[in-house]
Amino acid sequence: MSVLHFDKHTNSFLLGVAGNLYQLCENRAKLLVKCGEVPDPGEKGEPVKKGEKAPRAEGPAYITGVATCGGCVAVISNNKVVETFDGDFQRVASTVAIKRPTSVQVTDKNVVISDKAGDAYSYNTDLTDRKYLLGHVSVVMDMVLSPDLQFLVTCDRDEKIRISHFPNCYNIHSYLLGHQEYVLKVLLLSPNLLVSVGGDQKVILWDLGTRKPLQTLNSPQDDYITVSYTEPYLLACNTRHVTVYKLTDNTLAQTSQLVTDHDIVDIATSDAHVALLTREPKLELYQFSGGVLSGKIEVEGEIDLSQCKDSALPEKKKVVRTAGFAEYFERKRKRIEEENLKEESKQAHLKG
Amino acid sequence: MTKVKYPQKRNYRQRAHSNPLSDHSFEYPLTPEVMDWTKLYPRFKPENEVKFCDIGCGYGGLLVTLSPMFPDTYMVGFEIRVKVSDYVNDRFLALRQDNEVYHNAGVIRTNAMKYLPNFFRKGQLEKMFILYPDPHFKKCKHKWRIVSEGLLAEYAYVLKVGGLVYTVSDVKEVHDWMVEHFTNFPLFERYDPSAEDKAAQVLIGSTEEGKKVLRNKGQSWTAIFRRVEDPYQVN
Ligand SMILES: C[S@@+](CC[C@H](N)C(=O)[O-])C[C@H]1O[C@@H](n2cnc3c(N)ncnc32)[C@H](O)[C@@H]1O
Repeated sequence: MSVLHFDKHTNSFLLGVAGNLYQLCENRAKLLVKCGEVPDPGEKGEPVKKGEKAPRAEGPAYITGVATCGGCVAVISNNKVVETFDGDFQRVASTVAIKRPTSVQVTDKNVVISDKAGDAYSYNTDLTDRKYLLGHVSVVMDMVLSPDLQFLVTCDRDEKIRISHFPNCYNIHSYLLGHQEYVLKVLLLSPNLLVSVGGDQKVILWDLGTRKPLQTLNSPQDDYITVSYTEPYLLACNTRHVTVYKLTDNTLAQTSQLVTDHDIVDIATSDAHVALLTREPKLELYQFSGGVLSGKIEVEGEIDLSQCKDSALPEKKKVVRTAGFAEYFERKRKRIEEENLKEESKQAHLKG
Repeated sequence: MTKVKYPQKRNYRQRAHSNPLSDHSFEYPLTPEVMDWTKLYPRFKPENEVKFCDIGCGYGGLLVTLSPMFPDTYMVGFEIRVKVSDYVNDRFLALRQDNEVYHNAGVIRTNAMKYLPNFFRKGQLEKMFILYPDPHFKKCKHKWRIVSEGLLAEYAYVLKVGGLVYTVSDVKEVHDWMVEHFTNFPLFERYDPSAEDKAAQVLIGSTEEGKKVLRNKGQSWTAIFRRVEDPYQVN
């Protein structure tokens, strides 16, 4: 989930709140376009195989993901609508995904989405020609395409981070195994470094060469929510903390920490600013220099966060202990014991 | 000398299906490197590696057959049902007491749909077996099937190039489903084994499910697939 996104092309932050896509230029927020409107069926709908039903939009239309590449913008909404826009934020195409989308990536040729069912698909930017890419056996929570478009990294509600070749994703390059809970987010820092955020209160810095953790940040507070990177700084968010780390020689060292008044939903960084989306008073903008968030900047223009519910956040993974194993082994032990006794007494009887 | 007590199946019964997509608690290693195989095979040496995996091994009949045929190869069965895997475990413990063989075979209770990369490194396996998989006829349960486009990527990942997947089913629809999925998958091709392929000779009739089919004079369909290099080329 990434509803706050820094777009290099327009040098502005993009923010999806409820059904609205906003742009934040300097400190001015403006409404760009309404998203999540269900496309006319039959027009440029989802390509459907014979005998299959066309997927239907479901639920409230709030934005759950924004991605950009050059002048191409892709937006996914909770109601399964996927849309693309051009550099002037004019709608290019929209469609309804098969399952609820969970994250989106865009290149100048393709839109890639992952979904609740654990699958990932790619479309052309006009959202035709859907292709199956890969499948996890649990929800794909986030994904990232490498800038050279050679790899697609996906992470799931189990503990897995999978690196697949792209676009031939059926060919798994490797797995990054180390989290002990769901993996919320993956972020590439450089061709050889990846950061992942786990539900195990860990942020792991991975060496993609050895596929081993280089460093693990253990949350001193509570669950990590998300991370953002602006070279050479990594910003890790807990519920109410933004902790800044500087990356030098593959090592993260803390440079500063900011305590927020409200719960953090998402973060995005440019090289000079940090935008924070929090539960209550909307959007916070900070000056960012030398690894320190300073000088809160007043955001002008009205952004209504009241409709952005918690539902855009993943539920906590429940670990279900299958009860009754111990019981089963106890019953088995007794039964075998009884059988042995019977056997013995039979033998004794025969002898006697 | 006391006679070795073999496990009795009646002490290990469990309902036929458990949902492979739900969260059970399983024991599995975080990575293949930290897996302690000596718990399964007391004679396992650090330089050894498991090379065969029987996916959904049931009561373990195939491994009992293969173990003496490939005495130098470590092989493991993955079985999701606790009582069934417990039976197989006790079966091997008993067999080892009676014989000098069977030290190379064992069972792990785990979900083969989720944890293969936790147990095996990329390209580790030489052979995989999927014999008489649960059919899951209903369309909504197709995602429970042990063969699907998504899972084939994982099988291809743990299998070395040139490695083989052996499949058998007594349900034509399931056999066709497996053939369709494997042949459409770019990293597998249908394979016709040579006469020397010892494993291919014993697929039918070794497992409990296979024996049942033979007893009922039913038909079994076999299909074997080979892991090939990725044909993908950048254009
Ligand atoms: C019909 S039985 C066949 C057993 C054995 N291969 C034979 O031929 O007798 C299928 C077996 O697969 C097991 N199974 C199903 N899904 C599984 C999974 N995801 N992981 C491990 N085992 C599984 C079932 O519990 C069952 O024992």
